[in-house]
Amino acid sequence: MKKTVLALSYLTFVFAVATAGIPPMQTEIYTARDKVLPALVHIQPIITDFRTGKMVKQPVVGSGVIIRADGYVVTNYHVAGNSERIICTLFDKEQVKAELVGGDPLTDIAVIKLELSGYNGKLTVAEFGDSDSLQVGQYVMAMGSPLALSRSVSCGVISTTDRFFPGETRLPSGERTGIYNNWIQTDAAINPGNSGGPLVDINGKVIGINSRATLFANNIGFAIPVNIVRQVVDKILSEGRVTRSWIGVKCQALQDLEGWFGTARDEGVLVASIDTRSPAEKAGLQAGDVILAIDGKTVSARFEEQLPAFYKLIADHPIGAKISLNVRRGDQVLPLEVVTDELGKILGEDLECKEWGFTIKAITRQMALDNQLDDTLGVYVAGVKRVGAAGDGGLLKGDIIREINEAAAPQFTDFYNRFQELVENRTDKVLLTVRRSGNTKYVLIKPDFTQASAKPTEGETN
Amino acid sequence: MKSLKILILLLALTWPVFGAEAFDYEKIYKEATRYTVIVTIETEVSFGTQTTDIKSRGIGTVVSPEGLVIFDGRPIDSEDPFSTMAGMQINAEPKRIEIKFFEGKILTAEFLGIDRYTKLGFCRIIHEGKEKFPYASFSDRKKFVIGEMLSGYKLLPEHISPPLAVDIGMVSAFIQEPEEFVLTLGFGEGELAAVLYDSLGAAVGMLGLMSNAELSSMTPEQMMSSFENMEGYPPLVGVITAEKVRKLIAEPPRKGEVKRGWLGIYLQALTTDIAEYWGLGTKGGIIVSEVVKDSPADTAGLRTGDIIIGLNSQPINVDREENIAMFQRQISDLGEGGKANFEILRRQDGTIDTLNFEATLTLAPMTAAEAADYEDRNFEFKVRDMVFADFNINNLDRKTFKGVVVKEVETGGWASIGELFPGDIIQKIGGEKITSVTEAQAALEKVAKDRPKEVVFFIWRDNKTLFLNVKTDW
Repeated sequence: MKKTVLALSYLTFVFAVATAGIPPMQTEIYTARDKVLPALVHIQPIITDFRTGKMVKQPVVGSGVIIRADGYVVTNYHVAGNSERIICTLFDKEQVKAELVGGDPLTDIAVIKLELSGYNGKLTVAEFGDSDSLQVGQYVMAMGSPLALSRSVSCGVISTTDRFFPGETRLPSGERTGIYNNWIQTDAAINPGNSGGPLVDINGKVIGINSRATLFANNIGFAIPVNIVRQVVDKILSEGRVTRSWIGVKCQALQDLEGWFGTARDEGVLVASIDTRSPAEKAGLQAGDVILAIDGKTVSARFEEQLPAFYKLIADHPIGAKISLNVRRGDQVLPLEVVTDELGKILGEDLECKEWGFTIKAITRQMALDNQLDDTLGVYVAGVKRVGAAGDGGLLKGDIIREINEAAAPQFTDFYNRFQELVENRTDKVLLTVRRSGNTKYVLIKPDFTQASAKPTEGETN
Repeated sequence: MKSLKILILLLALTWPVFGAEAFDYEKIYKEATRYTVIVTIETEVSFGTQTTDIKSRGIGTVVSPEGLVIFDGRPIDSEDPFSTMAGMQINAEPKRIEIKFFEGKILTAEFLGIDRYTKLGFCRIIHEGKEKFPYASFSDRKKFVIGEMLSGYKLLPEHISPPLAVDIGMVSAFIQEPEEFVLTLGFGEGELAAVLYDSLGAAVGMLGLMSNAELSSMTPEQMMSSFENMEGYPPLVGVITAEKVRKLIAEPPRKGEVKRGWLGIYLQALTTDIAEYWGLGTKGGIIVSEVVKDSPADTAGLRTGDIIIGLNSQPINVDREENIAMFQRQISDLGEGGKANFEILRRQDGTIDTLNFEATLTLAPMTAAEAADYEDRNFEFKVRDMVFADFNINNLDRKTFKGVVVKEVETGGWASIGELFPGDIIQKIGGEKITSVTEAQAALEKVAKDRPKEVVFFIWRDNKTLFLNVKTDW
């Protein structure tokens, strides 16, 4: 009897659907689709990779969305940030070229501009929504080119609005990312190729930029919240890059440690670590201090999900700004003043030394901190060709080249000039003095002049 | 007359070659089974957070009437460069050593140590009082002939009886570099520590490994890249001569007892290319790539960039990185207080000076495996003192940075749930500064007495510090 009722109700439902025509929900999806899908861009950049000791050009596929009628498109930094040339296919299947405007690896956002002189169509511009008012369970669509299948739409809900990834997240090219934002998690299918495409709400507003997915999982994808994207894009459009303030602290959620540090619930942000030679160190901040307020405004990070916003609060200060902190240390509350410094590039520019058989990177302050170097002198060996002059001489990835033929080359430009000169002169023996695990090593290279070198490439624009 | 002498000499040298058929295996077997034993070792091996027990079985030889036994030490070698690869440390703690004599007697033995170079392990049979054991005594053969056959013993699988089988091998090469070594062909790795006999039935040495100098001189990164390139070679086995064996018997290695000499330099081989580039008329040498502050080298006046070309009146001709380990062994063997007279080349202001220095070696810094450790049963983890290499690898200041290194963490224990990881350096426990294992032990014992619900550890990990709240459940 029960079964009959069930079957009946099922039939009724099907019947109802059939008679009512298009359900309202479906209409809404169509409307939302039509607002954004025509603004979707299939992006095929050629990216450069220096990690194997030579410059390797690699075609990749990603997605993007048009945000201005004059042809600006937002995508992921890991799609177009290190690109040599970019070809885009628009929704009407027309192909146009594009140029990189700027990128920000820390949020994995890049802006490219379409070259529209030969294009006769009309661009559709997608609108940004508000990622601060999202709800778990809310319907969303992901648009892009999963596995290079352009103009694809998948549908799902928001699984979580503030996913935090503990530990360090890095882009495929090695840049650090995701420090200043949490992620929107969705079960709308996101596959490689979706990167840079929009996550769209039922009102046809872009609420995030899809950027990563979990491999071997079913529909666990992540998007960068559009409110972060908006700020980054604005900075790229107005200044060409994103600048950030840096004080050199690593913080930790206070949950579980409140008893130990004597703080109330939701009071303060715990300083876990201080970078050497950082503004925080100069200001006398210590591991174990609890920052109670910044510029008089109370701050807290009881949970790790609150940390990105705290880091962003510091980063958003103008460079060189004086930040006044109220800090709890033991039983005391101390006022401290930190003068911020520019965060600067995470990774330096790249150069392939073809004749010598390796690639280098300029050493930025952040690289020096990451690699536990005492200073930024010299250049960083990004890769060594397995069979090549430097490989034969015993150069290793991670070596820091300080001298060429026993003359100091403290900066990237010193190295570049000296390299050019020695290659032009066809110098057949080059002695590199390198630092390796805190020691000095000498590496003798016999260059191979059948190879020809390229010009340095701007690695990352931050 | 002279030619007759040469003939006799030749005959004397080549005699064993022709004697292959003359092996009196019966006699050798009878002799060998008196002192050849089967060594079964139960070991706890930990790698990161993983701990497993392993049991290994191999040939051993009793070499003294007091019951000193030599066996293949590799299964319990914590200093194996493979095991310290990429910063990971394998701890292999022998828990029980069982010695089974051929005639059936089974005794246990106390572990002594492993020789760093031959990888021969040493243990002593535990027995009461005055029992004397039959033991192998070695003849004084120094010269071998290529093609000469040697006989040894192979251990058969456990279910086969009798357990020993005769095996023969051939002297196949006299290796000169990186170290002098009598290579054999035909014997396998599984026969390491077996006595080798010549055709006359004399025990001429033991089967051992040629030390893989290349590997032991490599940094973890280099080791990784050598795996990527599929370089390296299979282990080479050959004769550890009676002379060497006797030296080891006289002074068997002892775990935790360091006698190695230390100079305090980092070094690099002077390749022909670099020698030529600098216009040095020498074949090989050691480039001093860094001098450790306040080390014997520093006190003696050695400087970064100096090139060592002589040690105690012997020339140093190292021209390949692979052979650096041999120089390191020479220094190491001079021992604490040993005098090292160096002849060096110093390049300055366009001239090359030849200078002499004398350094008095100090005791070598302990390795991670040798450092004192403490196991806390409540938190289920093990910590050890920091050693020279910890400061060096992590670029930490030896004078100001203090702590103890987490050596092992038992999965599921408080420490593991509190997210402590092997390799973390603990700097504070519950607010108390920790500078040594003794202090860590005191702090943890105090915790055990007070039984708090949670303990805050302040640790160093990946160049950052971190607070960990480790919850307890008394």
